[in-house]
Amino acid sequence: MMVNAQIYVKDLPGRLVESLEPISLVNGNIVGVVHDREQIVNQRICIDVTFEIKGNHELDQLKDIWKSRDVLIAKIGSVYKTYTMEYMLVGKFKASFVESLIDKASKAIHFESVDVNYSSKNASSARTAMISAELISEDDLKRFDAFLMNACKKSKIVYIRGI
Amino acid sequence: MRILISGFGTVGQGFAEAMILRRNFFQERYGKDLTIVCVMDSSTFALDQSGLCPAELLERKKSTGKVGTERYQDPLKVMDSVEYDLLVEVSPTDIKTGGAGLKNIRHALGAGKDVITVNKGPLALKFCELVALAKKNNCKFRFEGSVGGAMPIINLCRENLVGENISSIRGILNGTCNFILTKMDNGQSFEQALKEAQQMGYAETDPTNDIEGYDSACKVVILANSLFKRNVAFSDVSITGITAISSEAISLAASNNMVIRLIGEVSNDKLEVAPRLVPKGHPLSITGTLNAAQVVTDLAGPITISGRGAGKIETASAIMSDLVSIMDDRKGREGRCLNQ
Repeated sequence: MMVNAQIYVKDLPGRLVESLEPISLVNGNIVGVVHDREQIVNQRICIDVTFEIKGNHELDQLKDIWKSRDVLIAKIGSVYKTYTMEYMLVGKFKASFVESLIDKASKAIHFESVDVNYSSKNASSARTAMISAELISEDDLKRFDAFLMNACKKSKIVYIRGI
Repeated sequence: MRILISGFGTVGQGFAEAMILRRNFFQERYGKDLTIVCVMDSSTFALDQSGLCPAELLERKKSTGKVGTERYQDPLKVMDSVEYDLLVEVSPTDIKTGGAGLKNIRHALGAGKDVITVNKGPLALKFCELVALAKKNNCKFRFEGSVGGAMPIINLCRENLVGENISSIRGILNGTCNFILTKMDNGQSFEQALKEAQQMGYAETDPTNDIEGYDSACKVVILANSLFKRNVAFSDVSITGITAISSEAISLAASNNMVIRLIGEVSNDKLEVAPRLVPKGHPLSITGTLNAAQVVTDLAGPITISGRGAGKIETASAIMSDLVSIMDDRKGREGRCLNQ
């Protein structure tokens, strides 16, 4: 599993290495580290670390080691891969149409985030909407593709998706 | 090798020019000349069993508008009156019925002749039937120029990538639409861009086949049948053209660092032609009349090629590559017979 943790360590030489070493001790693999000296709270600095680890048992072991080494855990959670796709709708529709589509889709499909931009209406009253969707699985992406395609077909709206 | 050319429009004339340019190549590679024994255009034909001069054929077509002096009613009767080894079928495309091209190809394959064509109609409508007929009569049937003009997509996949599992091919398969969308990227309206494409000779007076995506759909069918071993027809393709693409859609895409391109996509479960959002800088975001295709393979990963999708000599180049391939194969067969 991929894990992201935000930890605080005392601002002393050697503490950064001391806080990261336990990840290797539980056979974890560090993917990224951000050592933020701007963010000092109670004379402790913030370290944002992302790592791969076998499972929850190893994660519990790591938490115990951090606790024993006076490392404070501010946030910890699993990180998952997301799938992003852009869609464009072209035709005669209102913003409420797109919003209701996304509401309906979100009942069955897991979104991480959705962002919609609209062009201004032109003389022919046709408009364009650009949807940027971030979904949590490939299956969700496929289902959202199919959902949008069918909805647009029914409403005679041109549907353009990313590549 | 005795060649019969059916169709003497732009592509047929381009092939004749390429024959003149590559005369020495064939003599050096195979120790013999290629001979054009018959050429048919829409109403006349020229025939000489001892060989026609390509330069004279081109000159006559230019000065009189006809390739021959004799008129014909039934092209199949002309074909039966000639002794030939290979038909180069480059008559105009008819994607509704297959037209004369389909009849000519059927007739030649039925008579055991090798065939090279760039005619999309017969391939989009009767691909499996024609391949089976070629196989039954032990003749070669090649059609590289039918998809992407000079861009060697079919032979690349069938020969160079033969050890790969190809999961999908997607590409820009119509230069006219790409020209129009590129012009729209630069601020023109769809109508202005189409008019310019017609003035430049990229789009026909009736541009329906291009802008509604039908031309790309034919190519998608050819790729699906020839490279994915599917048995599909034109009617199986989900088609959306570019006529509904507005200037504001292009602007909104641009503000998100993207362009809109008409993409044909083929895989084991997909047959589609549709406008797609392509990030700027992506290999399929190419501009102008170019064609491009991205082949996704399991071992090599994605492979992208691009090239001129149409044009007289460019399409003739694809015919020449098929011709060399057939000649090599014949030479191989002769060699194997001598060794046995």
